[in-house]
Amino acid sequence: MRKLLLLLWLALPVCAFSQGFQVNLEGEKQIGMGHTGTGLLTDGASVFFNPGAVAMLPENYVQAGISPLVFQSVFNPSGSNVQYHTLNKIAPPFTFYGVWGPKSSWWKFGFGVYTPFGGLTDWGDNWQGKYVLESLNLKAIYFQPTLSIKLADFVSIGGGFVYNRGSVDLTQAIPLANQAGQDGQAELKGTGHGYGWNAGIYFKTESGVTVGITHRSGVSTTINNGNAIFTVPTALQSYFPQPNTFKSTIPLPAVNSVGIGFYPSPKWTLALDMNITSWNVYKTLEFDYKYTTPDLQNTVSPRNYNDAFTFRAGAQYKSSPRTAWRFGGGFATTAVGDSYVTPEAPDANRVYFTGGFGYLISKHLDLDASFEFEHLLSRTSTNIQYQLSGTYESNIYIPGVSLSYHW
Amino acid sequence: MKFLKKHIYIIAGLFLLAACKPEVKTAQLTHGSANFSRFIAVGNSLTAGYADGGLYLDGQLNSYPSIMAGQMQSVGGGSFNQPLFTSAQANGSGYLQLTGFNADGTPITTPVTTDLAIRGILPVPGFGNVTLYTKYTGDIENYGVPGIKLLNITYAPYGNLNGYFERLLPNDAPTNTTDYLDFVTAKPFTFFSDWLGNNDALLYATSGGAGDVLTDETTFAQLYSLSISKLTATGAKGVVATIPDVTSIPYFNTVTVNAIVAGVQKLNPAVQGIYINALVSGTTYAPRLATAKDLIVLTFPTSMIGQLVSTPYGELPYGLTPYSPIDNQYVLDANEIALTQEHVLSFNSTITSIAASKGLAVFDAYTFLNNIKQNGLVIDGLNLNSNYISGGLFSLDGVHLTPRGYAIVANEFIKAINSKYGSNIPLANVANYRGVKFP
Repeated sequence: MRKLLLLLWLALPVCAFSQGFQVNLEGEKQIGMGHTGTGLLTDGASVFFNPGAVAMLPENYVQAGISPLVFQSVFNPSGSNVQYHTLNKIAPPFTFYGVWGPKSSWWKFGFGVYTPFGGLTDWGDNWQGKYVLESLNLKAIYFQPTLSIKLADFVSIGGGFVYNRGSVDLTQAIPLANQAGQDGQAELKGTGHGYGWNAGIYFKTESGVTVGITHRSGVSTTINNGNAIFTVPTALQSYFPQPNTFKSTIPLPAVNSVGIGFYPSPKWTLALDMNITSWNVYKTLEFDYKYTTPDLQNTVSPRNYNDAFTFRAGAQYKSSPRTAWRFGGGFATTAVGDSYVTPEAPDANRVYFTGGFGYLISKHLDLDASFEFEHLLSRTSTNIQYQLSGTYESNIYIPGVSLSYHW
Repeated sequence: MKFLKKHIYIIAGLFLLAACKPEVKTAQLTHGSANFSRFIAVGNSLTAGYADGGLYLDGQLNSYPSIMAGQMQSVGGGSFNQPLFTSAQANGSGYLQLTGFNADGTPITTPVTTDLAIRGILPVPGFGNVTLYTKYTGDIENYGVPGIKLLNITYAPYGNLNGYFERLLPNDAPTNTTDYLDFVTAKPFTFFSDWLGNNDALLYATSGGAGDVLTDETTFAQLYSLSISKLTATGAKGVVATIPDVTSIPYFNTVTVNAIVAGVQKLNPAVQGIYINALVSGTTYAPRLATAKDLIVLTFPTSMIGQLVSTPYGELPYGLTPYSPIDNQYVLDANEIALTQEHVLSFNSTITSIAASKGLAVFDAYTFLNNIKQNGLVIDGLNLNSNYISGGLFSLDGVHLTPRGYAIVANEFIKAINSKYGSNIPLANVANYRGVKFP
């Protein structure tokens, strides 16, 4: 009669696409210029940056790039001098774009495959927040066919359809020790998909300044039948039925952008971009399990994100017809309130600096390299749900390279 | 490629940059106005690392003083020796292990009886049997002695009556004459923790008010004053803790009157309730129906309920008539609770006022554990509470803590020290310490 109510052992689970997961690595030329490009005609990456500008591109493009990304975070718990570091793991955001249309036609067709959200965070299984998160690997790959139409010599529009294939693999320690004193573990692993669209408009003004405005819609991504794998002591297995599946929907936010390009001399291009990411759609994170028990309940975690703003600026200098030097930077506000910071991508206001180099290898082939350094400002917070309290700081290092063939 | 040749150094430099890890600037560690070079821990079973109904090596290694001492290392703390059992006798006194669950979800515990450190049993006339343990002869900084009351600390023969104290002393029982207070203060020390006094109320409560007595409040105040004077006599600073409300522990909150009645009514809906032998006043006990305000101990064998027992009125079902009430030892009734709580409050006001007068840090365990009982505790993604087994804080005996519980207590002591002495001893990582072990 010693009634045993085994309740809420799991602080299940965290998994958020936060601003930290907005990757912003969608073209090496643009990365070099501070990831601007909404108001520029640069290359096939306009499929992402401004589908409205695609019809204005002077050539057809096939291009691919990769930006291996190292996200290094540190956590210093409140009241302690210990520093926990994430393991060095390299996430590989990539891009592929194709743009084609008849020479000097009023239309162009584009296709893009890119990774606008993703993250790879591994704190290991021996850190202070292991019951909140051990590791998280998530990816969103967008496939986007696009049609762009030139309405006049000075204005073009375009729109695309987005199919997202998202995947998540999250591990978390469960505070149920076995006879050896080792924790249990939860792993949630699955793939899902979602749909969205985007549209843009591009102007060439009489003064020579170019302007772009785009809207990329939210993409609500649902994972059905993800695997929910629980490793717990034998005597408790019935409380965590196996095999089990979960369902969760993650609303990837809409992004509105406006960008401007200036051309003070034939050698110089200057660009400014501003993005508003509608993170406020992200109110809660919910996980529904196929089989629940008193100890394995569906969960609702508050997120209450705010819209986030990014300000970007960049420049390109052509030192010769074949070579271009690029630099830029920006500032992004955090989407996450102080009480909602979680270790999966400990978000904070961030600054970043970029540099890049472009070289025309042959008449039709560009080689572009870029490097981006992002610094997430030190942020001290106590998570309202997990009471994990401490200071986070992160650096992100992103080299990148791409090849573009154009004709 | 020409490009690569030209820019190899730039690229190499960028990758070097990538090797710089971010670091958070943390405050310089300081011992403040305290000196932790020899820290001693004074107390009872909680201080010794007692858990799961026994004292054993794993519990000792996770005692709150040893966790505190580990954290003090970075602010000038010295070595911290505990009277550990050897690995060959790692199970010490023996302890309870969780070995499974019944179909109704109730836990099955089994005593561990191998690799014990029991040396013998000494019958003491007029007292009873004293279990003796393998002697420990090394240095000691953790003086926690399971079972000791504040009442016992100046009693010279106590070293012959408590096997856990006897094993620390040089002589074999019954020839010891050093009292506990003299023993712990024999060697110079710079800092102490003192969590004595729990057993002066707890042992009365856990025996259902039948097997032990509450320490007199005035005697408690005199002994507490004496012990703190002696501990601070050479200028040592320290931290003391208040005594938890005995009703805040799962030992009294797991087997409930309502649950027992509900269980009986399932078989016999006519049963109105269960009878207990309850305190009326003074030492007068009388049978009455139990209410939710009466607490049943964790160790009560509920299967006894309803079994026929012989009484002056014939064979009657146990616990179900006023003539066959549940034995006093299994019940802390409402009046006994009130009596215990009155003593605990008095003890605690003694502790806090004497600590204040000596300028000592205070960990208010009474408030802390009551708060957890009311609201639970969420820390680093862990949802903890005062429930038996599932709560994560209390070990299988329902009184003592798990390593995780002890780590949380160690942090509360550290916070009290830091705020009193201006030190910043780093807090321990609670996630590194386990809760109950499951099969």
